[in-house]
Amino acid sequence: MDIFSNVTLGLEVALEPTNLLYCFLGVFLGMLVGVVPGVGVLSAIALLFPLTFALEPTTALIMLAGIWYGTGYGGRTASILLNIPGSPANAITCLDGYPMAQQGRAGVALFMTTMASFIGGCIGIVVLMFFAPVIATYALSFGSAEYFSLMLLGLIAASSVSEGSAIKGLAMVMVGIILGMVGADMYTGTPRFVFGHMELMDHISLTALAMGLFGVSEMIASVRNVSVASAKKAPDVSFKAMKPTTDDVRRSWLPVLRGSSIGTFFGTLPGTGVSVASFMAYAIEKRVAKEPSRFGKGAIEGIMAPESADNAAEQTSFIPTLGLGIPGSASMALMLGALMVHGIAPGPSLINDQPQLFWGLVMSFWIGNVILVFLNVPLIGLWVRMLTIPYRLLYPAVLVFICIGVYSVNNSAFEVSLVILFGLLGYTLRVLDFPIAPVLLGFVLGPLMEEHFRRALLISRGDFMTFVERPISGAVLAITVLVLGWLLLSATRKALQARAA
Amino acid sequence: MLSRNVKDLISGGLLLIFGASVTLYALANYPVGTPGRMGPGMFPVMVGCLTIALGLALTVYAWFQSGEMPKFRILTPVVLSLAVAAFALLIRPLGLIPAVVATIVISSIAEHDFRPVSLVGLCVVLSILVWLIFKVGLGLPISLFNWPF
Repeated sequence: MDIFSNVTLGLEVALEPTNLLYCFLGVFLGMLVGVVPGVGVLSAIALLFPLTFALEPTTALIMLAGIWYGTGYGGRTASILLNIPGSPANAITCLDGYPMAQQGRAGVALFMTTMASFIGGCIGIVVLMFFAPVIATYALSFGSAEYFSLMLLGLIAASSVSEGSAIKGLAMVMVGIILGMVGADMYTGTPRFVFGHMELMDHISLTALAMGLFGVSEMIASVRNVSVASAKKAPDVSFKAMKPTTDDVRRSWLPVLRGSSIGTFFGTLPGTGVSVASFMAYAIEKRVAKEPSRFGKGAIEGIMAPESADNAAEQTSFIPTLGLGIPGSASMALMLGALMVHGIAPGPSLINDQPQLFWGLVMSFWIGNVILVFLNVPLIGLWVRMLTIPYRLLYPAVLVFICIGVYSVNNSAFEVSLVILFGLLGYTLRVLDFPIAPVLLGFVLGPLMEEHFRRALLISRGDFMTFVERPISGAVLAITVLVLGWLLLSATRKALQARAA
Repeated sequence: MLSRNVKDLISGGLLLIFGASVTLYALANYPVGTPGRMGPGMFPVMVGCLTIALGLALTVYAWFQSGEMPKFRILTPVVLSLAVAAFALLIRPLGLIPAVVATIVISSIAEHDFRPVSLVGLCVVLSILVWLIFKVGLGLPISLFNWPF
């Protein structure tokens, strides 16, 4: 099939009334979640995860994805108006967005970043449309050894490169893999680590794990800690105040293009994701600027580049997820989880076997981005008011939705009690400065890795050289070794600097 | 500041204990097999050993670093856990609405200052929302009220 018939097929699927409705719902919720600080995108996706069991897989994915890229549009609202990032990826937007708001240019900043997000998103989708099928075709010849090596690289890169201590990130992957082992062994059926709980034979519920690790632990850390916007003076967000000057537009278009390219690139890599993309975009913009001193004082380039990078990365992160079946971040792992619940095996054959799913999803991205532009601008006034809802009223509501959400999956009170366990685990990890997202990544990828590891060695009759001798697998492992070496080097250098200081 | 990175020492210690228990439990209970024909114990033992190694590395690094004591909240996690536990215990015998109200009331203790009016308001509004979303909208097979006796 050529690209045009694919696009037509995708549009047909995406324009079905149900899919359109859930696309709208997803992006709306995503924007909402992005606006409100203290509710992360992962918690939001986890929260709505059980709802998707009742839906068609395509519809489910359209909604979850909508939440994911919708936050990219909502997140900067709080950054610009309150100097509080709505989500981590938008932290960098505070630097120049908040000064713009103080200069009375909040409306311009919000309007222009909406445009930046839209352009970034569009570029990301175009790249996704052309590259995901190519990569998938190439990956069809992969065997178990290649898959194991790719997942190993993905896990190591995702857990160690992004933020904080690499050792701690890797340790969290291990914890995730171990949690993923609980239940019946896939080859022999032996129950592993169930400790007499027959409910665990069918493995730990992804919903309970995600809700506990992210939702509840976030709440434990946020209660009495989230500062509420006191909305002293409502910023001027009328349409008139949003009109950018010609100078604004002239200054913006190059940063948007640069930001989108950076976002497109970093989005495809495992582990770097949206936060790294927006930080990089800001750093590069500052470096190429003729007057770097304007940055931090309300330079429009400083909000346009990161916001476009953010949205471009959100779209291209679907390339490895849908093209290879290897998620680069915890949110993407949840997307794959939603597919697996519906009995769809993620992998390179997905695009060929389920064209209506892949192309429907991709075309829904276009629709979702257009909806977001039209929703975001008129609703800015509403978002400003949303920011004044006290967390005191918000968190009991979120907790109730977590409980019902987990319960509704299997009508199991046992799974609700697992949320307590994982909530406490997540909070402990948070306090000890462990990154939590790698746990989820390890949990989803662990069973797949074990399956491919065992199968590859079964085929090679126990010869470990199979991972090195097969060219693609060997090359991927070589990259993995390089990444590990670089990590070791930078960690040692940091430790030495700390000693010297 | 402390002369050792206590946070990471605790982290490393916990990882060591966790990795060791997984490894030993797997060795004791599941056949390991051979590389060509792996048993259910092989992968857990491998991952457990890696966890031990990472825990050791973290502990060694932490020994030579300075750091702060981790600050744990005690009341908030207990209260929120109790709120979830109340839901798990009440959902079957009493039904959805009592479980929701119990969760809201217990979880609101975490906020420290008691505001009866907004609490009652929240219970009423959320009960209606839950009914609208989960019963009317999604039609989940969960009963709103049960009488256990």
